[in-house]
Amino acid sequence: MSKTTQAPKALRGVGNFIDDRFHLAKMGEKNLRKVFPNHWSFMLGEIALYSFIILLVTGVFLTLWFKPSMVEVIYDGSYERLQGVPMSEAYASTLYIDFEVRGGFLVRQIHHWAALIFLAALVVHMLRVFFTGAFRKPREINWLIGVGIFSIAIVEGLFGYSLPDDLPSGMGVRILQGVILSLPLVGTYVSMFLFGGEFPGEDIITRLYMLHILLLPALLLALIVAHFMILWHQKHTQYPGLGHTNKTVVGTPMFPAFAVKAGGFFFFTFAVTAGLSAFVQINPIHLFGPFTPTSITSGLQPDWYMGFLEGSLRIFPNTLDFDIFGYAVPVAVLIPGLGVMGLLFGALGAWPFIEQWITGDKRAHNVADRPRNVPVRTGLGVAGITAYGVLWLAGSNDILSETFSINLYLTTYIFRVLVILGPIIAFIVTKRICLGLQRRDRETLEHGYESGVIQQLPSGEFIEVHRESSDETVEILSSKPTITSTALDETVDDKGVESPESRKGMGKLRRRLALWYTRDNVSVADVEAHSGHHLHHSHSTEEQDKEPAH
Amino acid sequence: MTDKTNNDNNEPDETPERVVGTPAAEEHTVAEAEAERSHEGPYKASETHQRPEEQQRRGEKIASLWFILAFLGGIGFLVSYFVYGPEEIADPRISQFSNALLGGTLTLSLFGIGAGMTVWARNVMPHYEVSSPYDELPSDEKEKSSFSAFFMRSADESGFTRRPLMRRTLIAAMLPLGIAPIILLRDTGPLPGDKLKVTPWADGRRMIVEGTHREIRPEDLAQDPYGMISALPLMHEDDYGENVHYPHGISLNDQAKSVILLIKMPTGEDGQVEWGEGMTEERRNWTHEGIIAYSKICTHVGCPAALYERTTHRILCPCHQSTFDAANAAEVVFGPAHRPLPQLPIGVDSEGYLVSTGDFSEAPGPTFWDYAKD
Amino acid sequence: MKWITARRRHPLAGYVVVILALALFGVGYAALAPTADQAQARTLAADVSSQDDADVDVAEGRDIYDQTCATCHNYDGSGTTNGPDLRDVGPAAIDFQVSTGRMPSMDPNAQMPRRHMVMSEEELANLIAYYNAEIRNGDAGAPIPADVPGHAPDREEFPTPVRADFEDEESYEEAVEEAEAAYEAAIEEYEAEFDAYIAGADNTDMGMKLYLTNCAHCHSWSGGGGALTDGRWAPEIHDASPRQIYEAMVSGPGAMPMFSDTVIEPDEKQELISYVKTLQTEPNAGGPIDLQRIGQVAEGFISWTIGLALIVACAIWITAKQRAHD
Repeated sequence: MSKTTQAPKALRGVGNFIDDRFHLAKMGEKNLRKVFPNHWSFMLGEIALYSFIILLVTGVFLTLWFKPSMVEVIYDGSYERLQGVPMSEAYASTLYIDFEVRGGFLVRQIHHWAALIFLAALVVHMLRVFFTGAFRKPREINWLIGVGIFSIAIVEGLFGYSLPDDLPSGMGVRILQGVILSLPLVGTYVSMFLFGGEFPGEDIITRLYMLHILLLPALLLALIVAHFMILWHQKHTQYPGLGHTNKTVVGTPMFPAFAVKAGGFFFFTFAVTAGLSAFVQINPIHLFGPFTPTSITSGLQPDWYMGFLEGSLRIFPNTLDFDIFGYAVPVAVLIPGLGVMGLLFGALGAWPFIEQWITGDKRAHNVADRPRNVPVRTGLGVAGITAYGVLWLAGSNDILSETFSINLYLTTYIFRVLVILGPIIAFIVTKRICLGLQRRDRETLEHGYESGVIQQLPSGEFIEVHRESSDETVEILSSKPTITSTALDETVDDKGVESPESRKGMGKLRRRLALWYTRDNVSVADVEAHSGHHLHHSHSTEEQDKEPAH
Repeated sequence: MTDKTNNDNNEPDETPERVVGTPAAEEHTVAEAEAERSHEGPYKASETHQRPEEQQRRGEKIASLWFILAFLGGIGFLVSYFVYGPEEIADPRISQFSNALLGGTLTLSLFGIGAGMTVWARNVMPHYEVSSPYDELPSDEKEKSSFSAFFMRSADESGFTRRPLMRRTLIAAMLPLGIAPIILLRDTGPLPGDKLKVTPWADGRRMIVEGTHREIRPEDLAQDPYGMISALPLMHEDDYGENVHYPHGISLNDQAKSVILLIKMPTGEDGQVEWGEGMTEERRNWTHEGIIAYSKICTHVGCPAALYERTTHRILCPCHQSTFDAANAAEVVFGPAHRPLPQLPIGVDSEGYLVSTGDFSEAPGPTFWDYAKD
Repeated sequence: MKWITARRRHPLAGYVVVILALALFGVGYAALAPTADQAQARTLAADVSSQDDADVDVAEGRDIYDQTCATCHNYDGSGTTNGPDLRDVGPAAIDFQVSTGRMPSMDPNAQMPRRHMVMSEEELANLIAYYNAEIRNGDAGAPIPADVPGHAPDREEFPTPVRADFEDEESYEEAVEEAEAAYEAAIEEYEAEFDAYIAGADNTDMGMKLYLTNCAHCHSWSGGGGALTDGRWAPEIHDASPRQIYEAMVSGPGAMPMFSDTVIEPDEKQELISYVKTLQTEPNAGGPIDLQRIGQVAEGFISWTIGLALIVACAIWITAKQRAHD
């Protein structure tokens, strides 16, 4: 190993050139020393970032040939099957990319797969942050930015899906227009202005194209940059462990190891996307045929991230629709089409502040929660996933009905019930599981872990030998935070008088929520760690091995 | 950020008071002078685990193998580009090969680089974790009050708060400019007017089988006791003006709102159709010899609702499964749609062709707020 | 199981379980999804051309009818509570129902899936001759479109000779070769007929419009089928021969509406059938794995279970703890 401390001359020259102008040496070193905690779940956001980069690069390639025009032409390109078919220029130019540009088909498929993976990575990253409480102070703003990225990414994906003007994509636009039309008072105007007249008109693809390649990516890029600058400034959260505290972060430094790992990870992400695109056909627009407003196919589906909206459109009953002075209010379109989306993003955005309000916890948190230690939040998260999942499945009820030979209407009824019951059951079950895990943790902390070794005592009794946990485990288990809320301790002052705040409606509500939020948790405050008095022995003694199970 | 540099410096001896009491900090403060001297990496010896030379050498070999594989993949990708020319890939069979070849070599190349880098980081580089303090996020009181004093003094100096006339006129001056971008969007489209309610269907317009340009007569459906066909209005040269030509003879906008489903209802023993209760006398007059015409566009969000089951005479929309009863004025029997599919009054012209005798009974397409108003 | 016990506390054990679970999920999905071209071979049922020949046996047709059809459709074809009146449906309907194996049905209340035809080509011809002679009301219903290619010849119609019937090895082998050659010739003839029918259509736009506006809402853009109400379904039409598609259009089996030759004329039907048949044999330009052409549901599924899962597996490799630190 060479022990160079002096940089090579060329590098030094460049470095000096830059430093002379920007005074970067100190800041540069600080940033190269930036510490990143090691855990695979901390790399989920990176998948999204890398997918986004892949999307930008492949998207630029596609714009070289794509023509965002709805002028109807008679196709005379080299794809034989569709020759002589009238279609929009947008569709014809997509066929051109597929069948006349070498590598065009591959790049289009990479673009589509990367989009699906981008959204999927955003979701899992968001779930990781939610379940570990990484959205808490001081990271609430970054959480909000993340919610913004997620919502814009969905719209961005929908618009991109609409551009090739093939049969399913045109139906997506049609449904979008149908939802816009349902808006009371302004629906018809918004639709006319967006489409430049009636559906489908001749402008919508040009406009969606502008939004898809310019405005929305610019917004996404800006938000992603902001997301990263904040992350960089505040540093990453970390899971509990030895030396991991709210004041100190432990991990791999940026340079050299983390930079190489993150670089390698980019290539992995790209490789998987490219591999899928090479062998798995996605969105075969040349098979679908061009869009016409009169054609339709069974099994029509949006891309997966729009599935929950499709599902809510399918299962929402029409019984709440009403007329007022002869004007229609199609609730069955408004609520699933717009309300569900608003509810999802509203709830996501508001949750950090709701939780803070319930617990009154104003401290900064850098150590992530283990999901089991915050059962109510975890339960709500799983309930949310369940609701989302049920709606998502409902979006493919016709395919489920056909595949499993279930009555189509019956699937709708089942989903209507499930979307209410599912989250409730999921919440209860999750909370119970969390509490069970907490109890097991407490037991492990008290008695060590079950070694799987069965021994027979001289008395004939069988026991499973418990071994002492590692220091790391003890640290993780004993650092379990106690969940409390200020709402529960400030209500009654020394004289036994209830504070005026807690007597008001909001105060009462807060107190009730705080009770619900903190109830049932298992405390480890009074537990003496099993290995506590043997911490410095590296081998367990024979007596410990034989210590009976409790 | 820059003025925080001191707080964020990783040098252990600069941050003792912040990390006192934590295990990691304890390790920092115990200076193991000897170990320090024997290790010249950027981080303390106590934190680093140097790989054994043997492992490093093996790691180097494996990483290099991956990189060679990636190199070959990359070369393969470049070569694949020229294997099939642009004329050949128009054949979907060749296109599939070309796509798999290009994508496969690209995947190999990318994966090789990723794997090589991972092996490099995991086997050649020393393995360690270091600790570093989180920044103290709120500024201390002194800094805050200094900032606040400075800001208020400067704001006062600007006179913005003390000169209301100037302040208000400035706000007033900004307002029109703020509204301007919204106003500028006005020309993105026409006002709705009656465009969503009026279609090309009018008294005496013939209809054609969609996809062909053949006009339909009632006899054509006579052989179909359970017939159904998707149809469009027959447009004439002068409908669109002289220089406007559409490949199908009808604009997409007009297709989208005027497409109909012609259904031949089965007749019972007495030769009469068993209509449902919703079929008023007026609506029955809009049919012809058991042929009834409905708008094909679903009143929910506008998919073509064309899934007609002859046994149950249901019309189902494949998008969201709104179901309408064709024998009963297309009343909704299931699903999210709220109002029936509009019915088109039809009859026969003097030459015996099926024609519309007026426009739809209601505005076709997705329900909008004033669909029921004239 | 000892090795599991020993390893279940390994730091990677959890990941292994997750990956196994995902793999199981994937395999389960693959098993549930309908297999492609499952019934490709079954498509090759016998050619119907023999029915035009004079050697049909109406008497045998009656026997078949009385044994297999009359229980539900009554001896005079007037129908019972278990089966509809056949007198007006026409021979196209009979040919369609029997040649797709849907009739005779075991359960009159259930929708029948496509099966291998239960009788031979000759028996079907006899049955139809009997139907035309004795049951059909005049010339009610649609006739069989004889000029539309039916099924490819069935291997079973060209039985391999049995060794015992021949005296010596040589003559036996000759007979085997002959049977083989006859089969191949029949296939070739059928293919030529099929290709000529498909090539006879030249207006893709018309075929596509007719298919996408009148058929795709049930049978899907790819001919993969779809769900109907009350637990019924529109079958996939990959295995249907051009003639069966034609017959289905003119006879309206099950809940399907009818499209008679005056509504969609024979040459227009040819365009439609050619469009869907060409589409079905179209190679998948985007890759050998076509996800059954189900589309977005399958794509979303793959992006999660294969795409994201593989990338996360890479992340686990990158960040996995190493011995030196334990």
